[in-house]
Amino acid sequence: MTDLLEGEIGIATESDLVVARKAVRGAADSLGFSVTDVTRIVTAASELTRNIFRYAGTGVMRWHRLERGGSLGLELTFADDGPGIGDIEQAMQAGFSSSGGLGLGLPGAKRLMDEMEIASEVGKGTTVTVRKWRRKA
Amino acid sequence: MASRTGPLERRKSTAGEVAPVDWEGRKAFVGFTSDDAQLLRDLRPVAEAYAGEVVEEFYRRFLSFPETRAFFADEARLNRVKAMQKQYFLGLTEGEYGEAYLRNRLEIGRVHQRIGLAPRWYMGAYSIYMQLTFPRVLAAFAHDLEKGQRAFLALLKIITLDKELAVTTYIAAGEEIITRQSQEIVEISTPVIQVWNGVVVAPLIGSLDSQRTQQFMERLLERIVETNSPVALVDITGVPTIDTQTAQHLVETITAVRLLGAQVVLTGVRPAIAQTLVHLGIDLSGISTRSSLAAGLRVAFDLLDLRVVAGAAPGARE
Ligand SMILES: Nc1ncnc2c1ncn2[C@@H]1O[C@H](COP(=O)(O)OP(=O)(O)OP(=O)(O)O)[C@@H](O)[C@H]1O
Ligand SMILES: [Mg+2]
Repeated sequence: MTDLLEGEIGIATESDLVVARKAVRGAADSLGFSVTDVTRIVTAASELTRNIFRYAGTGVMRWHRLERGGSLGLELTFADDGPGIGDIEQAMQAGFSSSGGLGLGLPGAKRLMDEMEIASEVGKGTTVTVRKWRRKA
Repeated sequence: MASRTGPLERRKSTAGEVAPVDWEGRKAFVGFTSDDAQLLRDLRPVAEAYAGEVVEEFYRRFLSFPETRAFFADEARLNRVKAMQKQYFLGLTEGEYGEAYLRNRLEIGRVHQRIGLAPRWYMGAYSIYMQLTFPRVLAAFAHDLEKGQRAFLALLKIITLDKELAVTTYIAAGEEIITRQSQEIVEISTPVIQVWNGVVVAPLIGSLDSQRTQQFMERLLERIVETNSPVALVDITGVPTIDTQTAQHLVETITAVRLLGAQVVLTGVRPAIAQTLVHLGIDLSGISTRSSLAAGLRVAFDLLDLRVVAGAAPGARE
């Protein structure tokens, strides 16, 4: 089932990035995030889906609504069965890129979101989970 | 410059080419053998005897539905199509099912796709064929029902193969349209407009994937040279998300423009985008940016040493 606040999208082509961003925008909007936060979340999602597309080829993005102690949030998970990340600390460094990119995607996503976890095993794949909490008005 | 293929340019489509080896594979899959070819050859006299009435009945059905009747505007066309239909029907028992047969069937599929006959009528037509031929084949082989059954199965196989080829051409034609349209969208969505002598504006809209950015960069550089413009305004008001790759593409484009000796002002940088770029750690400090296109235009005028002066409207003056 894919509704606004919960769902899953397969990532295989560059145009799937557009679909993924749209889904995340829909979820973040309907959770009542501010315009700036929506932009942040969508940009982080764009980075992480692009990494799947670029390094693993295919994967999935899942998202769902969070609730903890009265605050609402959004969790996004990006999972692939790609080559994995050997040195996560290095990958998280601003400016490190194995592909001639800016090397700002992972560290940027971490700054754009409130929480981020990376689990990766070389040869097995990578799962990145990020969360953003809605600021109380 | 990318090749342009407008929707009005009706090229003769070669969509849905099926390689001869692929055709052999399809025949093998449905189990169409040289025995089947022989059985169909044996059906030839039956087909010749019945072709006329089968085709007549076939069109009676077609003419009794408004959606299909619409394809036969006048008597002349109807007769022409009937003659072709007869050819098709006899072709089924031709006995040769090689490359020439394949090409002929693909072309028939394309013609039907081109005139806009929806697949349901086209596929339905094959069903009508089966209904019309089954009893006739059985009657012709009343003395040898076992052979009649095999002959009918051979006919079923070849008609199924024909159907497959038709579906292939329909799908391929649809894919061709999608590809063509997405190329057109890429082109029309990256216009570069000269707004003033020496100033071009490129309003970017939607998402900037690698293909579009490439097109955009080429077009922008071309137009700057063509119009001999020292200033280009790249407006990102209509770009909902700028991630690191988009930013990298933009920076590369701006660098390329500078190599031509022109300057770029990045306009339409909304507050939310500005904050996001900072979070991402993207350095735009060497690039002149403005929050609106209007503010960017002012920068352009300054760079060109032009002044916008408020004055009385002409005619209001004495
Ligand atoms: N899903 C993944 N699978 C395998 N390796 C990855 C994955 N995501 C990131 N990496 C590795 O981590 C590095 C850093 O990623 P990051 O997104 O920060 O930068 P980048 O993709 O190289 O450039 P960009 O600034 O355009 O995002 C990548 O170059 C790649 O080697
Ligand atoms: Mg990246």
